[in-house]
Amino acid sequence: MANTTLHPDQSYIEGLANNDSAIIQSIYKKFVPKVISYIRNNSGDEDQAQDVVQEIMIVLFNQAKAKSLQLSCPFDAYFFLLCKRKWLNELKKASNKGVTIKEEETSTNEPTADMVAETELFEEKQQLFDAMFQKLGEKCQEVLKLSFTIKSMEEVAEKLNVTYGYVRKKKSLCTGQLTQWIQENSRFKSLKLS
Amino acid sequence: MNEENYILFDQYLQEELSNSEKINFEKELTDNPELAAAFAAFKEANEQLEVKFGFETERNAFIDNLKAISKEQLPAPKAKVVQFKPWMYMAAASVALLFGIFVFNSNSNPSFDDYNQYENAYFTERGDAVANVKLAETAFNDKKYQEAIPLLEALLKDNKTAELQYYYGVALLETNKTKEAEAVFNELQSGNSIYKNKAIWSLALAKLKQKEYKACKEILLTIPADYENYDQVQKLLKDLD
Repeated sequence: MANTTLHPDQSYIEGLANNDSAIIQSIYKKFVPKVISYIRNNSGDEDQAQDVVQEIMIVLFNQAKAKSLQLSCPFDAYFFLLCKRKWLNELKKASNKGVTIKEEETSTNEPTADMVAETELFEEKQQLFDAMFQKLGEKCQEVLKLSFTIKSMEEVAEKLNVTYGYVRKKKSLCTGQLTQWIQENSRFKSLKLS
Repeated sequence: MNEENYILFDQYLQEELSNSEKINFEKELTDNPELAAAFAAFKEANEQLEVKFGFETERNAFIDNLKAISKEQLPAPKAKVVQFKPWMYMAAASVALLFGIFVFNSNSNPSFDDYNQYENAYFTERGDAVANVKLAETAFNDKKYQEAIPLLEALLKDNKTAELQYYYGVALLETNKTKEAEAVFNELQSGNSIYKNKAIWSLALAKLKQKEYKACKEILLTIPADYENYDQVQKLLKDLD
């Protein structure tokens, strides 16, 4: 990823990460109409299209904040393909009632496909992580949530009315539990692949 | 991995280890692939938590903004059809007449004076009223901007707060020192204080004052919908069209 060159459209990504209204507006003006018309032509309506767009924008925001989104292809194609694939997935999930998909000939070149795959992997990992987090005990969830929102562990300890040493240890061990699950999951994945 | 390892991982990431401990740990990482794999997963968990909670407030603001912007882009819902009763024609005629008078009497472009209402300054609310602070506040609130400027300049020298900067900018704008005012607002705009959006709004007003309507509009479009006086922004945008 480090050796690919950054596309000038990276400015859209930065704009999303900074919640820059002008950039968001220009994305809505330039790129969203195409998504909406695609979804409308493929068994969806305006509201469903808006939901897909919003979900993708939030994924991009998260990935940009995690500093792992470096665009190496035009935003237009990347964004459209992400929305399109999300919509097709939703159709697949809901479909026992035969849907018609009008496949248009969009030539997807490799950098765009790679970028899309990367973002989808990011989203998948995030969803998996959310599910793992929900599996943690209540105390663990609370300590981790506070540790990562407040930052100062002294304040977290004060807020929970426990000692600094206790929250520090608890934070490490709760993160450790998540670590274990992440590892088990990746072992499971590689088993499935081989 | 045992508990000690996780505690060590966290200490390493928080940069709490001494130099020698750090070197030992890094050496162990290269020698022990099992430890390295666990550490990589631990780091991933940390990054996920950072995205999930560290940016939660920012993400919520982003989502609100997305919703507001997507609504703007949607076509307006169809107007309801209301049956017109005879007396309504009279009412409509008088409204049209009033509207006509209004239109012919006023310039078709909005003017700076329709929009330059400011909140009063309250620099002294914490009761630590220093004489100069009070003077600046009074001068500003009495619209004696010429007097307020040197007072605010002196205060800013000691204590450069966003609040003082904002009121200083307004005073400059009101005394036609538009370029200086724009410089002050630009600085606020690039910061992150609660005066950020107010500063963008003021930049738009500065353009309006100079009758640069196109530039004014462009600036207005960058104000996020969660700005407290967003209704003013929309009103001015409508007037500009």
